[in-house]
Parts: sequence; C-alpha cells; structure tokens
Amino acid sequence: MDRLMKVNKSAELAIIDFFRLLLENDRVSGIFTLRKINKDDSVDYCLVTDENRLDEAIPFYPFMPANAGQILSRFSPMNKPVAVVIKPCELRAFIELVKREQGTLDNFLLISYSCAGVFPIIKTGDEPFEKFLPSYWETVKRGGISQGIRQTCKVCEHFLPMNADITISLIGENKLDSECKMFLNTDKAKEFAKDFEGEMLEEDLESPVINSLLTKRKGEKEDLFTELSSKYSGLDGMINIFGRCIGCHGCSRVCPICYCTLCDFESHNYDYSASILEREISQKGALRLPPDTIFFHLGRLIHMSFSCIGCGLCTEVCPANIPVSTLFIKIGEETAKMFDYIPGRNVKEAIPVTVFKEEEFAELGE
Amino acid sequence: MEREFLPKIVSFLCKWCSYTGADLAGINRLQYPTSILPIKVMCSSRVDPVFVIKAYLRGADGVLIGGCHPGDCHYQDGNYHTRRRVAILKRVFELLGLEEGRIRLSWISASEGPKFARVCNEFTEVIKSLGENTTKTTIFL
Amino acid sequence: MNIVPNRGAKISVKNGFRGTILEFLRNSLEKGCFDGILIPMRVPADDSYAWVLVRDKPFLDNANPIAPIVSVQGAKALTSLTRKGGGNFNVAAIMKPCDIRASIELSKLKQVNLEKITLISYDCPGTLEMSNYIENPEESEKIFGSLLDGDVWDDKFTKPICQICDNFSFPACDLHFALLGTENGSIYLIPGTEKGENILDDLGIEYSEDLSNWEKKVIELIKKKEKQKAEKFELVKPTVEGFDNLLKTFANCIGCHNCQSACPICYCRQCYFDSEVSKPNSDFILLRTSKRGGISFPLDRIMFHTGRMSHMSLSCVSCGVCTDACPVSIPVADIFSYVADKTQRTFEYKAGNSTEEPLPMREYRFDELLEIKELVKDADGQD
Ligand code: SF4
Ligand code: SF4
Ligand code: SF4
Ligand code: SF4
Ligand code: FES
Repeated sequence: MDRLMKVNKSAELAIIDFFRLLLENDRVSGIFTLRKINKDDSVDYCLVTDENRLDEAIPFYPFMPANAGQILSRFSPMNKPVAVVIKPCELRAFIELVKREQGTLDNFLLISYSCAGVFPIIKTGDEPFEKFLPSYWETVKRGGISQGIRQTCKVCEHFLPMNADITISLIGENKLDSECKMFLNTDKAKEFAKDFEGEMLEEDLESPVINSLLTKRKGEKEDLFTELSSKYSGLDGMINIFGRCIGCHGCSRVCPICYCTLCDFESHNYDYSASILEREISQKGALRLPPDTIFFHLGRLIHMSFSCIGCGLCTEVCPANIPVSTLFIKIGEETAKMFDYIPGRNVKEAIPVTVFKEEEFAELGE
Repeated sequence: MEREFLPKIVSFLCKWCSYTGADLAGINRLQYPTSILPIKVMCSSRVDPVFVIKAYLRGADGVLIGGCHPGDCHYQDGNYHTRRRVAILKRVFELLGLEEGRIRLSWISASEGPKFARVCNEFTEVIKSLGENTTKTTIFL
Repeated sequence: MNIVPNRGAKISVKNGFRGTILEFLRNSLEKGCFDGILIPMRVPADDSYAWVLVRDKPFLDNANPIAPIVSVQGAKALTSLTRKGGGNFNVAAIMKPCDIRASIELSKLKQVNLEKITLISYDCPGTLEMSNYIENPEESEKIFGSLLDGDVWDDKFTKPICQICDNFSFPACDLHFALLGTENGSIYLIPGTEKGENILDDLGIEYSEDLSNWEKKVIELIKKKEKQKAEKFELVKPTVEGFDNLLKTFANCIGCHNCQSACPICYCRQCYFDSEVSKPNSDFILLRTSKRGGISFPLDRIMFHTGRMSHMSLSCVSCGVCTDACPVSIPVADIFSYVADKTQRTFEYKAGNSTEEPLPMREYRFDELLEIKELVKDADGQD
C-alpha cells in the first residue's frame, strides 16, 4: 500500500494550488512545468517564480516540446529547491543524465504522473490538437489508448513514474475532474506536502485498469516491432530505413541521452581528406556524399541504445520522417536486457558499459 | 578462373599480449594467413566499437580484437570492458541482421603464438565461408 | 543571371532534358574530361535523393541530374569532399544554381576547394518539398516531370522559396545548360569560365551565337519571380518586425537547430549556439526568471535565430533546406531570405554571385555606413 493525499479538486487545479502554497511559503525557488500564455500561443516548458503566473501552468497537458530531463540537466538550483512536473520518460532521462554527471537530483522536488501519452509536436499550419483533448481525457479515465497520440506513447510500457517524489494518479481515475490523488513516495514529498490540505489515505497506484493498459500497449508494441523488423533486416534494410536521412543529426541533438556537446560523429575524426574518399570511390565506382549515414546511426545505437528511455523525440524531430525511435527503442530494450538494465530505474544502477562482471560472456574471447 | 577470395581481416591487437603473441607466431614460423592486417593498440579497451563498425562499413571482411586473458590486462580491467562492448556490438549486429560473425574477440597471451595462428586460421575460414563483405560494393552507406 | 553570355554550344535534346544532360556527362566521363561526377541519385528505397560521386559510367544510369527535391544541399556534398583540401580527381558537379551559389560562398569561407571542381548548372524549375516527396514519391515524380516538360514552368507546386527565386539561371558556374526557351529540340550549353570553354573544346562541340530566345524567356521568368518575391516579402515583413512578432513566428520552434545543421552556410563544426558558452548557468537562469516571473525553455530561441541571421545572412543563398529540415514547418527560409535580401543589399553584395567579390565581413571602407540610421531606412525602401 502506498501513502497518498486526496484533494477534492481536479488534478490540475490541485497541483497548481500546491505550487501556489510552495511559492507563498517560500519553500521553493521556482516551479518547472508546461505553460501556455495565451489561448493561441504555443506550449512551452517554463520556470515560474511568480505565483501570479501559475494561472498559465498546464502541468498535465499531453505535449512534449522537448525532453524536460534534458532541460533539467542543464540546471541545478543552488539554494532552494525547484518543484518540477515531469513525464515518466523524461524523469528516466534525467536519472540517466545524473548517472552521467550531467545533472543532480538535489534540490528538485520531482512530481510525475501516470502518463497516458502525448500528441505529436505542432507544425505551423497544422490544426491544433485541442479538439481531441476532451476525448483524450475521457480515454485517460478509462485507461485506453487515445487517438492521435504519438506512436511512441502508444507502445510505451513505462508510463508509471520511477523515482518521483510525488506521483499524481491520472490513468483510470474516474473522478479526475473533481479529485486528485497525490502519492507521496518519499520523505521529501511528505515534508513538502505537510502544509497542504488533503485527506491521507492508503491505496495502490497500480490498478487493474493500469495493468490492462499495460497489456494493450505491449500488444501494440509487439505489432509495431514486427512490422519494423520486416523492413530493416540486413545492410539493405538499414539503407532502406536510413537512406533518406539528410544527416542533420537532429535526432541526436534532441536525444536526452546524447549529452555530448560535440558528438563524435560531428568531430573531425570523421572528416576525410579527399584522397581517402577518392580511394573508396575508385574501389566502388561511386559513393554517396556526405558519407557515413549508416555509420552514424549504427554508432549511436552502440553508444547509447541501452540507455534509450523511449521518449520518441528523435522521431518527432526527423525531417525525413524516419521512425528513429522505433528502432532505437527496440534495439535499446535488447541491449539493456543483456544486463538486466532498465534505464532510469535507479540512479545507483551503473550504466552497463561502465562496469563488468568477471564471470559474464565467457563464450566471447575464445 | 575465379580468383580465390582472400579475406581482409582488420585486427586490433593489444600491445602487451596479442600483438606479442602474433610476433611469437612469426618468430616460430607458424603459418597463419596473410588476411590478417594487424593494428597495434595499447589495450583491447582502446578499441571503441565505432572503430569496428567503421572497418566493417569500409569493407573489412572480418574484424578481430585481440587482448590479454581476463585478469591479465595490463591496465587491470580494460579487457572486461572490451568484452562488454563487443557483446553489445555483436548483439546489435545480430538484431539488425548484419553479420555478427564477422566480428571476433580473442584472448591471446604473449606466449600463445600457436593460439594466435590457430585463431587466425579459424577466423579466416569462417570469413571465407561468409564470403566477401557486401559493404565493399555498397555505395549508399 | 550574372552576365549575359554571348554564345553557347547547341545540343539536341534526346530523352528529355535529363537524358540529354546525362548523355553529355557520360561522354565527358568517357573522354576523360572528368574523373568523377557529383550528381543526385534516387536512394534504394526510392523515397528520396542523395548526392553520389560517380566514377564508373554505368552508375550514371540511375542518376538524375535534375532531381525534384533538395534533400541535402549540394554544397554540403562538396564540403565533405574538399573540406580538407582538393583531391586528385577532376570532378564535375551538376547542381542547381543555389547549390552552386552556396559552394561559391563556402569556397570564400575556405570550406570548399573549387580548384578541381567543374561546376555545371542548369535553368532550375524549382523543387518540391522533401516531406511531400517522401510521403508520395511516385506522385511527386509525376508532378515534377510534367512541370519540367511544360512550356511555361508553372511553379505552383514548388517550394515557397523556389517561387520567389530569381536566381534560377546561369550562376557563376563553369558550364550552364540553358533549358528555357530553346527551340527545335535543342538546348544550349553555355560556358561561364575558361575551364568550361576548354571542356567544350575538348568535346568538340560547336557554338551557336544566338541565345536570344533563351535570354528572352529567362528575363520573362525573372520578372515574374521578382514580382512574386516582392509580394512574399510584404507578407514576411510584418511577421518578423518587432520582438513580439518574432516571438510569435518562432513560437513553435523547439530549438532543435535542424535549420542550422542543414544550412550549407552554417559550416561551423560546433555552432556557437550549441556550445557550452551559450548555456547559461542556473543562477543566471533564476535571476532572469525572477525579473519576469517566468521563463520559457529551451532558452534563447530568438537569440539563436537572430544570432544566426547576423552570423550568416550575408551569405544566405535562399536555398530553402532550412525550411525542409524544420520539424515544425516554420518558414525559416522565407524569413532568412527576407533578412538576407536586406543585409546583402546594405553592402551591395549578392551571396554566391562570384568568386571574386570579397565577403563583406572581410573588409571595410573608411567612408561607409556613416549614417547608419539613413542606411536602415534606405534598405527598407521606405520610412
Ligand atoms: S533527424 Fe532524421 S534526417 Fe536528421 S540525422 Fe536523424 S535520422 Fe537523419
Ligand atoms: S534515442 Fe530517441 S527515443 Fe531514445 S532517448 Fe534518444 S531521443 Fe528518446
Ligand atoms: S539560411 Fe536557409 S535558405 Fe539561407 S542558405 Fe541557409 S539553409 Fe539556405
Ligand atoms: S529547425 Fe525549426 S524547430 Fe528546429 S531550431 Fe530551426 S526553426 Fe526551430
Ligand atoms: S593490456 Fe591487453 S587487453 Fe588490456
């Protein structure tokens, strides 16, 4: 049984009230959440220090313009904590980044929620997805897979947060519009919530609705992966998928795990003198330029796939419409499995390539 | 007449063990195929898997990584890290339907000249049965 | 158009414009004029094009000199080949005028070495949006095919940036295929440099002195494009003037910097706006936040775009790949083209026009820009 606080207000209003209290009582230096300034403005992540601006906050808005984990990694509040609302995959990304010493967990009050998925990023001229929202929230209450959300979210299994101080339960909550269940997972959470008014209860976050959603999503994933593997087998398969890649490296720039300021594949290690390329061209009769399209993607798979938390941003950003994340999630799951690793599960769990066991992989090396 | 296929096997050999093992094989006049193109590295853990991918994509028929036996690495645990990386690399190749058999990791100590010769012979045969690496003629890489 | 050429070689059209150009390339490869040809080729999945440097003639069978999309800017392909200096191959690069202009800018910026490169261009009918092509390649090929074969090049299906491009003909190249307005089943191949003339001599192609038909058509089309450009700029202007408008225009920007990394001119290995220097520390972020009560992430998006404008708009060739690369479909190229038009006019510079004209930022005159205020007014063309 988990400890929770029930507040008789919609989840969104309750959490905004909570934030207001935190700011009023000077418990935090700021609130990090999604916001929308005017009705027709876009949605952004935002750090709010003025409680009057909390009206603009839309903490559970199903949208992910960037990976919040990546943003937090570049931000370490020194004196007073910052309270953040963050999606489960973003939180896992943040944990992976903390392991890589790209951020610190201190001084954040991490608030996450059971996430039903988000809509694709908004393209200029596209119809806003606002009109889907009522049906989205109805689906959340039922624990279904909403129409119009990203493919990546439809197949995500880790929609319950790991490592959150506070978890807001949204999926399967019939009374989402009138009550809010805040699970207080850590002492930090209890400490911060002590002045907040609500009824203390004990309940499980995991419910039959959640389990059935998990089954549904697993099924979707199976189908998606099968469809993909029929396409990518072998070198020709890789070329089929990545042939249209324009080499913008947007996928690695938005990837929270790819934190290097200068990616190896953009470094001068792989600038070739003309004579090297000419030799290859002479051997083959022709060569694609710029070279190294497949090299980049294979290299990235090797460097980071076991830490891929499946946020799907790489697919979203790809101008060539390549399903980058589908491949990375699939390969990542397998490489992580080799080490019983789940990225973002536990900050103490070492990144697979930084440790070893003496007795493992004995078949290699013969 | 078809020319016999002589594979090119890019071989990253750690200076302290495998490279010395290769030397020993030479001194003892043990036969091993000319397919082996040795590259001396300070430790097998110097081999970023990306080097292996690069060699593979540039048309190497096989890539051999040679290091000290587990426990004997001159930098203590370099080769354990190598082993993990190679395991990941081979798994990814396998998952993508690329030929993971073209990648091989071998522990060969400085005194194992005969083992070096055996590994080279074996691996060359394996590569011969796999045939030429198609990356050699692929232009859209 | 740079200068009005006075003669061109007459080539009869066989298998359409593309077939004719290919045939010329085959011949020149065979005769040893070149060691390789840089040319677009459809990728194996048939859903896009890539630049391929072809050395063996048979590969040309799969090439398409006039590709319907620009997936990667041609100058980028040349950069990857010659960034570290020229090689031994004599390479003919068959590219669109904007690819050529970018290559020339990059040669001035020391990122492309043109010594062994022969730049060959053609009258460009415009290109289609990459994402549309990827979604429906066959349909797009059809649309582009009928556009290219049409009597008037109807640009309504081409990218917005192509609709306002008045640089579609005869850039500062070595050879140029004049496709417009040519009669009796033949096109002209016009030399732009001595290099180009020598190649024509080597191939023993005869000259014709009368290019008037082509000139007439080109000038007609330039007029049309200039008009469309002026209209477009009127539309762009209010979307970028003033900070609030700029904010609104880039409101959906997710800060991915695809526009920069696809841009041929933005050659820096590490963009300043991706570097550590441009990442503010936490205290500073909090300080900035406390002044306004709230701050949006990713930080400094407007700074990125305006910074990029100031860094490179003098060399922007209005190729449009930034728009194609933007995952949220911001019309980046329209905006940059608009700004570039102004900044380049300030220095009477036209990006990619010639290898001779020095980059404006590489020099100064004592007696210039004395009246900055006046100048801004003039560049605007109004008060
Ligand atoms: S975002 Fe897409 S086009 Fe750009 S490098 Fe990644 S896969 Fe290639
Ligand atoms: S590889 Fe793609 S899905 Fe995985 S963490 Fe990076 S951006 Fe997210
Ligand atoms: S800013 Fe855009 S239009 Fe201008 S050169 Fe760069 S990619 Fe081309
Ligand atoms: S490509 Fe588009 S979203 Fe990305 S930085 Fe440029 S304008 Fe912003
Ligand atoms: S020194 Fe030989 S493997 Fe490390």
